[in-house]
Amino acid sequence: MNGRRVGAMVRRNALAQVRNPGHWFLLLVLPVVDALLFGSIGVAYGDGDGPVRLLITATLLFHLIWQVTLAGSLGFLEEVWSRNVLNLVATPLTEREYLASLGIVGLLRTLVTVVLIATVGLGFYSVSPDSAGWVLVPSVVVLLIFGWAVTLMVVGLTLQYGDSAEVFSWGTLVLLMPLSGMFYPVESLPSLLRPIAEVIPLTSVFAATREGLETGSIAWGELAVGALGSLVALALAAWFLDRQLRRFRSLGWISRFT
Amino acid sequence: MASRRPPKFDGPMDLVLRADDLHKRFGDVAAVNGVTLHVAPGERVGIVGPNGAGKTTTLLMLLGAVEPDRGTVDLVGQRLPQGRSAAMERVGFAAGYLPLPDRLTVLETLRFFADLHGVEDRDEAVESVMDELSIRRLSGQVCESLSSGQGTLVGIAKAVLHRPRLLILDEPTASLDPDVAMRVRDRLEQLNAEHDVTLLLTSHDMREVERLTDRVVFLRDGQVIADGKPADVVAASGHVDLEAMFLAEAARRREEEV
Repeated sequence: MNGRRVGAMVRRNALAQVRNPGHWFLLLVLPVVDALLFGSIGVAYGDGDGPVRLLITATLLFHLIWQVTLAGSLGFLEEVWSRNVLNLVATPLTEREYLASLGIVGLLRTLVTVVLIATVGLGFYSVSPDSAGWVLVPSVVVLLIFGWAVTLMVVGLTLQYGDSAEVFSWGTLVLLMPLSGMFYPVESLPSLLRPIAEVIPLTSVFAATREGLETGSIAWGELAVGALGSLVALALAAWFLDRQLRRFRSLGWISRFT
Repeated sequence: MASRRPPKFDGPMDLVLRADDLHKRFGDVAAVNGVTLHVAPGERVGIVGPNGAGKTTTLLMLLGAVEPDRGTVDLVGQRLPQGRSAAMERVGFAAGYLPLPDRLTVLETLRFFADLHGVEDRDEAVESVMDELSIRRLSGQVCESLSSGQGTLVGIAKAVLHRPRLLILDEPTASLDPDVAMRVRDRLEQLNAEHDVTLLLTSHDMREVERLTDRVVFLRDGQVIADGKPADVVAASGHVDLEAMFLAEAARRREEEV
């Protein structure tokens, strides 16, 4: 792993995203819109401050994982859109260095969005970002692991389908959001969907976060299930990406990016 | 057909490129079918042939972007694919059809590629290559605003700023007007003469090939049908020049397709 190459790729990614107005919308506007939307719903229909705390915290956690995924998947798509993939392949940059750079940019995006939502939550709804207590620390770690698994999967799909895979970059987590009981217990879902919700690692993490908000305790059992599920998802995604990279070289997919 | 050019090297260890018995098949199509190519330091080699002859697939295998079904590639002493990253520190690549990364200025692009290639004194190297290629006035322009000719010059600049031992060029003057194409050829000759950069290029412009190379490798249906000095290759083919040979080969291919 060469730090200078990772740093160069981080700068390239960051500049490409900062100079793309679409990224500003996803990074700065949508998190604020969601925080205002769900915060106000919590105030309007909630009983006491519990619902607004839950909705703001869940919005913060959703955007945390979403921004990690967007940074990775859209970061690679930026190279696809500008037909820069072959230019990168023809340098000493390794695949691990490239992925490391996407991860670092993802963390930077996450930091920005967390600060934004925390500011809205605290400023407009008097909800402290650490309302759920210490459970947030392991929850964030598990969510980042799962977000990284989604990123690897989307990069693998993009290698095969090019920019047609764009929908997966933002759509995967949008699909998981209602299914993983982010804002409500999975018992609220239609019974048909509950078995699906139970196998999504995010479900356990959000359940642990809700318990933290309600009781102040840490549901280690739920967190362990979420962590295990996320690690399995990460392993599967890494295997999938490795397979896609082999197919990329073997089947000559590079010609789709030139 | 033509006799092989007398080697300018003492043994295999001196070769900047040693590709042996390369095969690549995409579905039912044998894109490359047993290509062997040895290139010594300082040589200027042109790979020619009609569309579909296997030129670009061969180059992509030499860059490690496509994995051969059979055969080996040793690039500046490194066996691919394991040694790809180390090899690319001393190899440059540019293609006339390949845009530069979006959303970066020319200066940022050159610094980015200098970092990826591990250039020690980055800023000095970038300044130097901008002067050599007379592109300093473009340094503040974003790459997507460059004309074809300007983009090609910047593409060559990013491919040579790390002083590669081998410069691989795919259609370097494609879509350039004659004046800019002539300037590009002048620079390539200069790089070869003054910096001992080995040139390996593909082109559909046979006059360019005759001017820029001292050895021609002619491909047909993924196989080498001639390898030698341009004059020798032409003489052995019975045609008046390389262009006539190329046109005859293209006509033969068209008849086969019909």
